Amino acid sequence: MNKHLVNLTTNPCKMCMPMGVITAFYGINKCMSILHGSQGCSTYIRRHMATHYNEPVDIASSSLTEHGTVYGGEKNLIAGIENLIKLYNPEVIGVATTCLAETIGEDISHIIKNFYEKHPESTVKLIPVPSGGYMGTQYEGFFRALYGIVTHIEMDQEPNGKVNIITGQLSPADTRYLKALLSAFEIDYILLPDLSDNLDGGHFEKYSRLPKGGTPLQDISKMAGAKATIELSTFTDESYSPGKYLNEKFGVSYIRLDLPVGLRSMDALVKALSKVSGKPVPNTIKEERARYLDAMIDSHKYNAEGRAVVFGEPDFVYAVTRLCSENGIMPVVAATGTKCKGLKETLKKDIQDVADRLFIIEHITFDEADFEMIESYALRYRANLMIGSSDGRRIEEKHGIPLIRCAFPVHDRIGGQRIRMLGYEGGLLLLDTITNVLLMHKEGGFRKELYFKYYKGKNKEQNLKIGEPSPKDSSKIRELSLIIKLPVVREEEKELTLEDKKKTHPCFSCSSAHKYARIHLPIAPKCNISCNYCVRKFDCPNESRPGVTTQVLEPKEALERYIQVKKDVPNLTVVGIAGPGDALANFEKTKETLVLIKAYDKNVTFCLSTNGLMLPLYASELLDLGVSHVTVTINAVDPKIGAEIYKEVRYLGTTYRGEQAAAVLLSNQLAGLKYLADRGLVCKVNIVTLKGINDHHIEEVVKKVKALGASITNIMQMIPVKGSVFENIPLVSHKEIMALREKCGIHLEQMYHCKQCRADAIGLLDKDISMHYAVPEDKKEAELSPKGKTAIRFAVASKSGMLIDEHFGHAKTFYIYEYKDGKSVYIENRDVDKYCRGAEDCEEEQDKIEKIFKTIQDCQGVLAVRIGSSPEKKLIDKGISVFKTYDRIEKAVQEAAQKLL
Amino acid sequence: MKGVNQSTTLLKEREDFIYCKDGCQTDTFRCDAESVSGAVSQRACVYCGARVVLNPITDAFHIVHGPIGCASYTWDIRGSLTSGEELYRNSFSTDLGEQDVIFGGEKKLTAAIDEVASLYAPKVIFVYATCIVGVIGDDVKAVCKMAEQKHGIRVIPVMSPGFAGHKSVGYKMACNAIMELIGTEKREKTNRINILGDFNLAGEMWIIKDYLNQIGIDVAAQITGDASCEQLMEAGSAALNIVQCAGSMTYLAKRMEEEMGIPYVKVSFFGIEDTTHSLLRIAQALGNEEALKKAEMLCEIEKNKLQDFLNKYRKNLKGKKAAIYVGGGFKAISLIKQFNEIGIDTVVVGTQTGKKDDYEIISQLVNPGTVVLDDANPAELETFMKQKEADILVGGVKERPLAYKLGIAFCDHNHERKHPLAGFIGVKNFIKEINLSMNSPVWDYIRRESL
Repeated sequence: MNKHLVNLTTNPCKMCMPMGVITAFYGINKCMSILHGSQGCSTYIRRHMATHYNEPVDIASSSLTEHGTVYGGEKNLIAGIENLIKLYNPEVIGVATTCLAETIGEDISHIIKNFYEKHPESTVKLIPVPSGGYMGTQYEGFFRALYGIVTHIEMDQEPNGKVNIITGQLSPADTRYLKALLSAFEIDYILLPDLSDNLDGGHFEKYSRLPKGGTPLQDISKMAGAKATIELSTFTDESYSPGKYLNEKFGVSYIRLDLPVGLRSMDALVKALSKVSGKPVPNTIKEERARYLDAMIDSHKYNAEGRAVVFGEPDFVYAVTRLCSENGIMPVVAATGTKCKGLKETLKKDIQDVADRLFIIEHITFDEADFEMIESYALRYRANLMIGSSDGRRIEEKHGIPLIRCAFPVHDRIGGQRIRMLGYEGGLLLLDTITNVLLMHKEGGFRKELYFKYYKGKNKEQNLKIGEPSPKDSSKIRELSLIIKLPVVREEEKELTLEDKKKTHPCFSCSSAHKYARIHLPIAPKCNISCNYCVRKFDCPNESRPGVTTQVLEPKEALERYIQVKKDVPNLTVVGIAGPGDALANFEKTKETLVLIKAYDKNVTFCLSTNGLMLPLYASELLDLGVSHVTVTINAVDPKIGAEIYKEVRYLGTTYRGEQAAAVLLSNQLAGLKYLADRGLVCKVNIVTLKGINDHHIEEVVKKVKALGASITNIMQMIPVKGSVFENIPLVSHKEIMALREKCGIHLEQMYHCKQCRADAIGLLDKDISMHYAVPEDKKEAELSPKGKTAIRFAVASKSGMLIDEHFGHAKTFYIYEYKDGKSVYIENRDVDKYCRGAEDCEEEQDKIEKIFKTIQDCQGVLAVRIGSSPEKKLIDKGISVFKTYDRIEKAVQEAAQKLL
Repeated sequence: MKGVNQSTTLLKEREDFIYCKDGCQTDTFRCDAESVSGAVSQRACVYCGARVVLNPITDAFHIVHGPIGCASYTWDIRGSLTSGEELYRNSFSTDLGEQDVIFGGEKKLTAAIDEVASLYAPKVIFVYATCIVGVIGDDVKAVCKMAEQKHGIRVIPVMSPGFAGHKSVGYKMACNAIMELIGTEKREKTNRINILGDFNLAGEMWIIKDYLNQIGIDVAAQITGDASCEQLMEAGSAALNIVQCAGSMTYLAKRMEEEMGIPYVKVSFFGIEDTTHSLLRIAQALGNEEALKKAEMLCEIEKNKLQDFLNKYRKNLKGKKAAIYVGGGFKAISLIKQFNEIGIDTVVVGTQTGKKDDYEIISQLVNPGTVVLDDANPAELETFMKQKEADILVGGVKERPLAYKLGIAFCDHNHERKHPLAGFIGVKNFIKEINLSMNSPVWDYIRRESL
């Protein structure tokens, strides 16, 4: 949003008048408020106040309706006041209008009169405050309410020597500070309003719905007899200044002071208090002041880097801007959403003074601001900090300009009720916060900033990359690594150590090789790469090598086989998916198989072998599926060498060849391996040794995969396969393999007992029993075909079509379901009216229930959320069972059928 | 009020809105009615309802025609996330003043639309008519119509004066505005679905979409979480509508069924049970066998993954008592089921805008003795939570401080949430939140003997 909209307020920097009125009434003892208008106004204001103050905020509404809007809302308002009294029993009720009430011309003073006429016994003091939302902002609303209070209360003019203190919207904590200050001067004061307790109450055993704090009316009635009034507001319009009213009507002398924030304003208040009390300034206050001065010095150099945006109510902006300026923080933007002509003029000298000292040319002060303007000036004048309400958070989020939340409302932080800025002490706390924001920025970023600015040496780019694998095609690897989902928090699973996992897996531990059996389930026929040493089309029961299987199983068959084998081979601990293609190229099948088996046997160990191409895509799902062992075959970590091994790589719809193919495969292998190893999976890397192609490169591979977290490598011989490209290359001898393993054993544990199993191997490593479990094709067919059974038909009353959520008698449509072979199947919808319309016997006078009976007469059961007792009986008489339930249709039908069977 | 122990001042006018489940018929129970004035209802207004439904449309201009309050209090307060434009996170207001109230605000509105149209070339502008614009005689519909002709863009009025009912009416107005935007023009049918009534709070729309994607079902339009105008126009091509927030969007689903021939099913993605049922249901409704199989598997996996987690937390939570006070009926129902799943008894339950049907279902789900209330106020919540000794309240922002003052734990199930509560992941978040609040050490300390 850079362009400024003249005719629209974009992101308001103000709220409406009733908000201020309600807040002010919260400072009165045993007081509730009611808003005359539609329900939303009070709800919105409650929500705003509740999040800021973290206190229950109850505000009534006359809940004006259409009728009330047309014919006047008196009845609503009077009823509302009556109800409010019943619920809360208050002594005072603030009655405030809203836009709507003002626009339709509601005369609340008159309505209040009528209320008292109706309830002559009532002792509740009703105080009307006209406060249409368009008449001003919450800032004006606050003082309107105070003005309403002092003008509607019968005053006791008897001189009492007290001092009236009238404030704008202070935080409860600031209010408490102010009270302590007055006590320090031993001043007998009347504080209007007193927000210290009602909007920051403690926790007590008993909760009082009606807030117990605040200034009592009896105290307020004595304001006319006070010796002086001090009104803490810079810009409040005199026409509704309570101080001015008390002065003109009752002759109470009155002075206006600014909000005591910062040195000068606080000095002014302290002097005034000293004068009005006739007491010298207490030492504690002097010491406080001295500390503030000391703090000003301590932080002045840091503060000079501050370029602040201050926004909010006029008095707040004025006070905080002056605190900034006296500390050498440049207020580049001072803005209020309220109409306040005087703001710019009053602040001019202060702001210009800092600007001149620091040679800052551009800055602005304006009223009637919205956040679009504030944002654009904040950017233009390079602000590095904002001070105001949490409404600045969008600018903070978008542009990274830190926001100090110290004005109403604060929605995204805790402690709005305890904001401190009043007095030397509060000013100091705010100042420290400001300085620390500036320091945080500086301390957190200076190393990087200076490096970028001044370091001109080589490898600037490379020095920034930390810990990433850097193969030849590094750009690709980073891109692909992005596919990996963020780690899932898996706190609920107890962590097995790598060693634990290895111990019971025959392939990963030599000692368990003879104790524990494994089953390879051949459910993954497809592959997504072509290796020059592999052909998968042959099935020979007598041949044993990877890629070979007698038959490919469906996941369900795989489960059956597992169940069967588990019975026969109790020491079966490991289920492996090893092809005959690639486990991840058939991920859906793999996933289904693992889910089914896991559901059957919770303690199973899952193992999976893959070429690694799809690992980045599925790695996090493998974790979720509970796979604990993964074998990745990585034959080269150099795309040039890889190019000789791989014919082609088919990845995300593209077929790669040559070096490109090898690079794509490699980057995915490495990224996937690292991801899994980082998360505690046991990762084995298989390396097929190919004479003259990668046999000199094996050590490289081992080092690389070790760095990425592999826990063991398996350096294997190539088994020459007829018809493959490498059919005729010379073989690496067993002796050479052993030598390689020994050499690489310095870097990483080696596997010495690999049997290079079939994709459907079963049993101990050296005892394959898979041939016992092969199912003849014809038998398979016969078993799968379902046996015919009779169906049970149900009529279901449902509104949503998903749940049984309709009353039998109210149903316009019935869902007809059949239960057959253990399954509930949806048949059709039957519209009660339509179903009967064509039938001859459907007379007009025929009642609805009869129609329904016709509709569902072929059913054996009826399911509904409720049913009247007479239709239920009729149904039962007709031999139709009735099931009352609230459940998902399919489930309920199944349960009902079970009962009928 | 039937069967409720009347230990405190409850308003007579409110009695029919409260009952205690004891197995008897509740024919006189009332809901979906106007709030009782002075009763301190927790409800918001028509404008609020309309705004919350439409606001998640990310690339729309939302202009509030009225005085400043309405725009100020609804500015970016909800957690609807976007994957595209950020425009919806602004709040535009004609900011009517006293002069406008006297002389009318049409000119101001026209000028505002002209300005927006010329500077931003927006795809759609929603103009919300608030309380006073009808009263001062502004013809918002006419202004919008003229602007449409003038600028050749969609300018859609949303008639939402606060006094015209409560939030539900606002939902309806928003639904009408959406219908107006998408039109009923025939479109080529696909086998995609529309998601209605999810507002992408804390990314929940994304989570649901991901599930659907995993079972092979594509989404045409998201109404309105993370929606764009362009995407909304795809709505007509869908084979099915799924309705998550039934309170706000059933009306739209019905209109789309009648006028565009798109059937709908109600769903809920809160809790394992509802999420599972919903996914299966969607696949079934589409007649998609493959999706059904995938959904069964997905749900099975996710459910299994949660078992250990649930077992662990059940120990901490079993036997506790919950109070629920939320906006709509569907949410309350889902919450009761979730509590049942984990062994927590719901002892107080209420909603702001629940319908008779919702309460009937609620009645089915809760145990005898549970207090059910419609449009409750703080005094009633206080009374019944204390009476029923609730350990936790699930509710919105306004209810939170009350719970805390009463020394009751709290779960934020509102539109400002920062973590998803929908889907399987939502189950975890929900239960963790329940546990961390209910089993916080603070409750032990605040009950220490006082000094």
